[in-house]
Amino acid sequence: MITIAVSGINAMDNPGPGTGIIRALKESPLDVRTIGLAYDSMEPGVYMDHLVDKTYLMPYPSGGMETFTDRIRYIHSVEKLDVIISALDAELPVYMNIESELAQLGIRMLIPDRKMFDLRDKTRLSELASEIGVKCPAYVACSSRGDLVKALKKIGFPCMVKGPFYEAFKAESIGEAEALFEKISYKWGYPIIVQEFIRGREYDLVGCGDGEGGNLGLFAMKKMTTTSLGKVWNAVSISNKRLTDAAEKLLTRLSWRGGFEFEALMEEKSRDIYLLEINPRFPAWVYMAAACGVNLPERMVRFLMKMPYERGSNYKSGKIMIRYTHEIVKDISDFEQISSFGELEYNPVRVEQHKEAA
Amino acid sequence: MNTDRLTALAISDTGFIFDPVTGDSFNANAPGVEIINYLKSGKEIPEIHDLLHGEYDVSSQELEADILDFIRSLKNHYLIS
Repeated sequence: MITIAVSGINAMDNPGPGTGIIRALKESPLDVRTIGLAYDSMEPGVYMDHLVDKTYLMPYPSGGMETFTDRIRYIHSVEKLDVIISALDAELPVYMNIESELAQLGIRMLIPDRKMFDLRDKTRLSELASEIGVKCPAYVACSSRGDLVKALKKIGFPCMVKGPFYEAFKAESIGEAEALFEKISYKWGYPIIVQEFIRGREYDLVGCGDGEGGNLGLFAMKKMTTTSLGKVWNAVSISNKRLTDAAEKLLTRLSWRGGFEFEALMEEKSRDIYLLEINPRFPAWVYMAAACGVNLPERMVRFLMKMPYERGSNYKSGKIMIRYTHEIVKDISDFEQISSFGELEYNPVRVEQHKEAA
Repeated sequence: MNTDRLTALAISDTGFIFDPVTGDSFNANAPGVEIINYLKSGKEIPEIHDLLHGEYDVSSQELEADILDFIRSLKNHYLIS
């Protein structure tokens, strides 16, 4: 049995990738025990006992690296973690700093290093885009209202106002842009990116880099419908060579290590691809790829555990993902357990026994 | 007329059209599907007109107008240029 901890189990209106990652792992042939790493007692993944065997509350990364690492060490002392899959941008810098320490404990991760992480930063997209043969909307990084004013004069309207980690909204006026600037910077800090609005359809590609320029598989889709927050709700799988080629060039250029999401727009007439963002982890829709035969979380774990793994990107286009809402009902005692003690287990297993059996 | 983008289209018997490159989908009626298939095989508009005229009970002018209208639709969706 392989014990895998996964963060980002906040399956809400702005869903984290964690529950999709765990579902992909549970549906794979791997014998896995899944540990959820939550930041809030009300993250839905905490209570999804068909997916998450046990959950631990984590301290926010902003609380300090030592506190964060101590918590991981404690969880490892109980669970004997084999792999951690980090699914949140905001915690990734901490994991990058402690990866080698975790490796000495026997905990494996496939994440980018600082250089790779910085190279795909939102403020460096234009240079990256030209290197991989795609276009990039004009943008300006803003760290003050003064920057914002200059950016809006340069970029014009409509424009996109985007946070450093998450959230992107369309602004049609100065007032809207200012309000979004305040709202996003309050939540996520700086810089705030003001980006040219390109008329086109949104496409995403998910993959996993092996750290040596190659990949463990790629999968692309077109967003069919999105929520008011711009998150994909329904999608269709596609076969687009220009998009795939750009992603492969990206992986080669960065020697990318770990999961990633390539967000792009396709201009309708020319079918030119505009690079919007490169997210340094699996996206929330990663399960769609798994369901279509490209199970990237499984391949990542196999790669880390030195087990045989697939690399191909063979899947059928025309498969549609339908996201829906669903309810589960639990007892308040579960909430008591996670909120008071920071741990909630649905599927206990004797750790010593299953590790010996492995 | 560039019809390269038509070659990738998946067309069902009912006229449902899916473009696997863009993920776009359309519906076309039987004559529309025929026109697409003729275009894919490299036929030009006059030849398509003659082939359809022999098949449908419609005046030549009406048929030409309908064909051109459909071609315009294909161009509006950037499937031909």
